[in-house]
Amino acid sequence: MTDQMLRAPAEVEYAQELAWLESVDDGPKPFTWRLSPKMVRAFVLGSEPGDGLDREISQKWFGDRTFVERAIVTLASDRGLLLIGDPGTGKSWLAELLAAAVCGDSTLVVQGTAGTTEDHIKYSWNVSMVIAKGQSREALIPSPIMTAMERGAVGRFEELTRSTSDVQDALISILSEKYVSIPELNSGDNTVFAKPGFAVIATANSRDKGVNDLSSALKRRFNFVKIPVVSNRRSEAEIVRFRTTELLRRHDISLEVPPSLLDVLLQSFTDLRAASAAASGDDERLESALSTAEQIGVLEDAILHSHFFGDSTLRARTLAGSLVGSLARRTPEDLAILNKFWHGVVEPRGADEDGAGPWQEFLEGGKQAIEALS
Amino acid sequence: MSTAAANGGAPAGAAPFTPLRERLREAADEFAGAPGAAADILAGMVDDVDRALREPVEVFPVAHHSPAAALAMARRLREKRPKAVFVELCEDLAPLLDELRNCKLPVALQAFASEPEGLPSKGGPLSVIAPITEASAEYQAIAYALETPGVELVAVDRSVDLVFQWDAARQAGPEGESGEQGGGSGDGAAEAAGLHGGAVGVEIGDLRPRFADLEEHLLHRGRVRHWSEWWDQYVEQPLARADHDTYRQVMVAIGGLFRRLSPRNARLAVDEDRERHMWRRIREHLAATGTDPADSVFVCGAFHSASPVQEASSTAGDGGFTIPPPTGTDWLYGLIPSSNSAIEAQFSLAQGAVSVASATWSKHVSARTVRPFRLKGQKGTGAAGGRSAAPAAAVPTPPDPGRLSGFLSAPPELDPLDEAELRTWCVDLVRLARRNGYASSTADAIAVYETSVLLAGMRDRARPTPYDFQDAAVTCIEKDTVPGRRDVRRLCEILLGGDRVGSVGYHSMPPLARDVADRLEPLGVDLGKRTVQRILIDLRAEPELAPASMLLWRLRRVLGDAVRPIAGACALGDRSVQESWDVSLGRDQRSLIELGYEGVTVEQVLEQRLRRAAWDPKATAASVLAAAEDAIVLLDSPALVAELGRRAVEVLASERTADGAPEVLRRFRALVAHFRGTGAGLPAWCEAFVKAGYAHYCTLLPRAFAEEEAGVGQVAAMLSFLFSLESTALALGCDRDQLELAVAQSHPEDAAKVALLWAARHRLGALTRDELRARCAELLDNPLVVPSYPRYLSGFAQALGPVPELAPFVVEAVSEAFARLPDRVLLPWLPVLVETLRKDAGPMMAALVREAGRTFPGRLGALDAWTPPWARAQGPGGDGPGAAPPGSGGGGPAAELLDRHRASGDAVAAVLGVEGVWSSPGAGEGGDASPGAQEAAALVGRHPAAAAAVAALIGPA
Repeated sequence: MTDQMLRAPAEVEYAQELAWLESVDDGPKPFTWRLSPKMVRAFVLGSEPGDGLDREISQKWFGDRTFVERAIVTLASDRGLLLIGDPGTGKSWLAELLAAAVCGDSTLVVQGTAGTTEDHIKYSWNVSMVIAKGQSREALIPSPIMTAMERGAVGRFEELTRSTSDVQDALISILSEKYVSIPELNSGDNTVFAKPGFAVIATANSRDKGVNDLSSALKRRFNFVKIPVVSNRRSEAEIVRFRTTELLRRHDISLEVPPSLLDVLLQSFTDLRAASAAASGDDERLESALSTAEQIGVLEDAILHSHFFGDSTLRARTLAGSLVGSLARRTPEDLAILNKFWHGVVEPRGADEDGAGPWQEFLEGGKQAIEALS
Repeated sequence: MSTAAANGGAPAGAAPFTPLRERLREAADEFAGAPGAAADILAGMVDDVDRALREPVEVFPVAHHSPAAALAMARRLREKRPKAVFVELCEDLAPLLDELRNCKLPVALQAFASEPEGLPSKGGPLSVIAPITEASAEYQAIAYALETPGVELVAVDRSVDLVFQWDAARQAGPEGESGEQGGGSGDGAAEAAGLHGGAVGVEIGDLRPRFADLEEHLLHRGRVRHWSEWWDQYVEQPLARADHDTYRQVMVAIGGLFRRLSPRNARLAVDEDRERHMWRRIREHLAATGTDPADSVFVCGAFHSASPVQEASSTAGDGGFTIPPPTGTDWLYGLIPSSNSAIEAQFSLAQGAVSVASATWSKHVSARTVRPFRLKGQKGTGAAGGRSAAPAAAVPTPPDPGRLSGFLSAPPELDPLDEAELRTWCVDLVRLARRNGYASSTADAIAVYETSVLLAGMRDRARPTPYDFQDAAVTCIEKDTVPGRRDVRRLCEILLGGDRVGSVGYHSMPPLARDVADRLEPLGVDLGKRTVQRILIDLRAEPELAPASMLLWRLRRVLGDAVRPIAGACALGDRSVQESWDVSLGRDQRSLIELGYEGVTVEQVLEQRLRRAAWDPKATAASVLAAAEDAIVLLDSPALVAELGRRAVEVLASERTADGAPEVLRRFRALVAHFRGTGAGLPAWCEAFVKAGYAHYCTLLPRAFAEEEAGVGQVAAMLSFLFSLESTALALGCDRDQLELAVAQSHPEDAAKVALLWAARHRLGALTRDELRARCAELLDNPLVVPSYPRYLSGFAQALGPVPELAPFVVEAVSEAFARLPDRVLLPWLPVLVETLRKDAGPMMAALVREAGRTFPGRLGALDAWTPPWARAQGPGGDGPGAAPPGSGGGGPAAELLDRHRASGDAVAAVLGVEGVWSSPGAGEGGDASPGAQEAAALVGRHPAAAAAVAALIGPA
């Protein structure tokens, strides 16, 4: 099945692991969960020798264990889960993994945009059928959230704060009363009750703060779990390696990322983040959030470039070009910052090594790319 | 402990120690190195336990901030009633223990040395602290020993001096980071670190993995975030209900494992030496007093209880170990206040760990599972306060020794208290959160409760720990923003007991602090209060408060921010009658106590500090003058002032640059004004300073003019010193030639300095005003020089300091520039002028503006008819409408008076040997009087009495 999909959802990608975990799981399961909370944790964070599992479960989400535990516990409770954090911190990925582990379906997703309406959260009508047969349950098109209610599954709401406040508030009754009434239908069949196991995972971008603020009534019904930007060098390297491997496999590319180049990438981002943190105004700060996802994007770009246009070897020069290309979004502000970075930070690093390391090449590649863009 | 238990042979399941055993076995496996080594380590642990149990002196292993250890200790002491208690505590700190009665815990025992001698540590004051909290085993032991007659308390660890002697070896080793270290490493611990200052902490029962990998492994496997949490979950909770033997065996086993896994480094070598030291002291005490070893208890860290050192036994010999002699360092001892958060920061424990420990302890005490020992008279909020515990229920019946396996297989007892406690926490937290701006409700309380239980279940904990509760509270209550000052995590800490801050009682404070407390009493300052106290003093209404007010000023000088004047001043010639103070001496008790190490009274300390500042190798003339000023204002000791003044002369003469000249000038002028103003006349040192300064600055002047490093402000200050004190200097025998020569030798290149030099030469009479004028005109005529004209102007502006009479000329020079330069030159040049004057001549601008105000007409209408005074003087006819009448000289009533009575003027001229010529031929009497003179004459005519009185005063009419 995965062969026909560009990107398989987590429950398909890790179907074997999930099935195996389910088979060995003897812990207490809340509601109709597929796995017990401990196994959900093992699925997301990977297994430990102390878990007593015969088979190794790979780590899929990298970050503080507490966040995952708090998220799982929230799903088992009465409240919705709101993952909030900077772009690229892995919120949606965590939401997908949790949904896959808890109910085996992570595809019941509503994408929040300025155009999201209440219909997307509740239900809409198949107009031609309504004309032909009148309003009935058959003519009803349930939203993903409503489907999740009917099945007792996890519904996901991506970018909650991008949708307008009145649409957001449609969630209030779903989260507290746990049913949706359909006044258009006759009594008796006009209420959809949520089955046990129903939960909502929403994600919100902390950069969108103030765009469509959540009402306090909705806030009260969500438990907030803040996902910070990964700043730990080791786990960041692991994330980049993990995601890149997945990507290479998806593209069927056999190309090795040299550890020294990975170091160059991580170090550059660390330096750029430090520069951003020290900047006094928005003009001195790159527009990019410099998240881990952004690093993966840069690496992906460089890999694809080397694979299709290069000699299938990843070079520092290509990486530098991709970095500049991905981060320079505003001219001249971003270019000026990158130029300053290249001359102030990369150049000394290149000078420090004895001509053999990747920094020298990285330096030249970056300068060329900046020149080409300016 | 049976081998089976240690090896994990007991059935897995409900036993409270099963998880701990698992974790330890994994750690042993992971870090043993060789494949078979794990078994050896485990067998070794059993040997350790065996050895510790066979020791005739009862070894009681403890861990710091462990309520379980405190509980076990209290129970054991009640049961055993030992005659001697040996404690792992620096032996020279022991005398302080009795003082704990006067204090509110937590406090820290402190040893302080301001000048280390012969110690390998890098200079500076050294300080060692050993914090004592109520929820600790050592406090139980101390309280028992001090409160029970006939019981001896012996501190057996190395002296403070040896801590530093052995410290050098530690620092040379690869790792010296954890455990005992300088404070203030934690985040948000700024205030906390402040409580302990830069002290080195020593603690009883430091038990923590000795290398980072092991700790990380345990945390990772144990699924906890911090060592304190690991300890709480895997050791603390199971041990709280264990009997004495189990407790000892488990603690020795943990200590043994960590010991066996710790790398052989300098730190371990120091630990072994400490053990030799401790056991030697124990043996000495037993031999000296004849106490039965069975009647004694040795309280030491679990790490030391599993010592493989041969000499670590009451029956062994010294093995050639000798205790090094102390160095010549003079150690002073005292108690300083401490706090839970300060302890956490000092020993890098998890935030809130000590508070959680003390909350757990209070819970046990209030549940009456233990009857704690307490020092009589101890202040504080300890739950044990005045309650008398039920004795029967307090001491659990001891199970048979060696029945550990039975205990291990027993199901965990769930305390009904725990559930009620958790419920209370939830409700209280929601209330607290609401008070802090969160929109939390009862629903949140329920959610927190539910989430805590779920989290605990997920983390394999029998019941939610405070850490689970904290996580749950953050999950359920914290939203995207923190509405108030505190976030939920902080609120949880407050709820769980919060930060408890100790204080040192009056009787345990050093004499200086007691003296301060006594002397501030009239002001109503209570040193026990931790709040900021506002003190209002009206010296006119209550002159008797003057000494107390002066003490506050002195404290301000030596302590800094602990006393802050809000209104009022105390400086040379400035003493306010009304003052307002913010005093926070209670909060800064440590700084006051440490001040006590420096002297017996504040005055003595201040005097010492002033002397030290003056004789510091880096002292400058300005800093010594500042010290002298402080001595005058704050100490009123002419002898000290004179001594500091003589030192200032010395320092000034030895200075090689003019960097401090402006500061020296400012301070010295103020001092001279003070001495002249108080009518005492210049003291000898001031005269010496003038002489030395005159010669010194004359010598430096040519170089300062030439060097780029010396700014124009400094040169101006030197000239000011020379000119303004010239009369005094000449009277004291200085030679004016010196100054003239110095000016003649000066050849500046910088435009501003050139202008300054011109001004100086004008002052000395070597350059007339007309010559000056001509030079400026030349500058303005030369288009190549015009851009640097602002620099000349700023030099002239600076010259207003040393040569104030030049003000009209400076106004003229500026005006000329505006008058003569064409707009195309002037406009781009203006910003440069403004910039230059602002940068270089800021302080002088006021004088310049005042002068300009006098020169220019005040109203617009007058401007048309106005001619600048310099143009008038220059004008060939000089008979313009505004020109001064010829023959009136300087003009004004005074000149007219002189003119009328030429005889006296001639007499003075004759005395001075000057051939004077009157500018107008008239004899004066018949001359036209100016309106001013007429007015003056009319006034005198109207009031003849005053004139007559003056005449009578002068002599016969």
